[in-house]
Amino acid sequence: MSAPMPFWRAAGMTYITYSNICANLVRNCLKEPHKAEALNREKVHFAISTWKDGKAEKPVIRSDLAED
Amino acid sequence: MVDMVIVPATRGQLGVLPGHVATIAELKPGIMSVHDGNGVTKYFVSSGFAFVHANSFADLIAVEAVPLDRIDACLVWKGLPEFTQKLKSASTDLEKAEVQIGVDVHSALNSP
Repeated sequence: MSAPMPFWRAAGMTYITYSNICANLVRNCLKEPHKAEALNREKVHFAISTWKDGKAEKPVIRSDLAED
Repeated sequence: MVDMVIVPATRGQLGVLPGHVATIAELKPGIMSVHDGNGVTKYFVSSGFAFVHANSFADLIAVEAVPLDRIDACLVWKGLPEFTQKLKSASTDLEKAEVQIGVDVHSALNSP
């Protein structure tokens, strides 16, 4: 009843990574203006900080937006 | 309520009509077509899931689902040989998997 493991899982990739790669490939094959809209929609901007000994360390900002 | 929806499941094309048994299907990159009395509307789905509920409702979940007329055929033609070429130079399993995904998606985009 079980199906063989998909090649991406066998290579150590998770479903989310697989799905996001597929989506990106599709986005890159769109006509304008849809392509620009789609790529723009996926831009992220966030700050992430690791915690050590109960205190937050300096946050690192990760961003796809242009630096000002 | 539409007449039928055909979704690209990993195990093949799945045709869903009203009254279909409740199903969950994992989708592969491909074309989903919605058949209504008047005609067919097609979308390309990047990957995702199809949930068919017992009450004849079906949910399609996909990260990207685009009407076919938004796909640029030139970019697809350029991409396919590019990835097929990269397959030869990929070294780690992960790289090979990524390139293989590129080949699969571009082949699927090329089909209609």
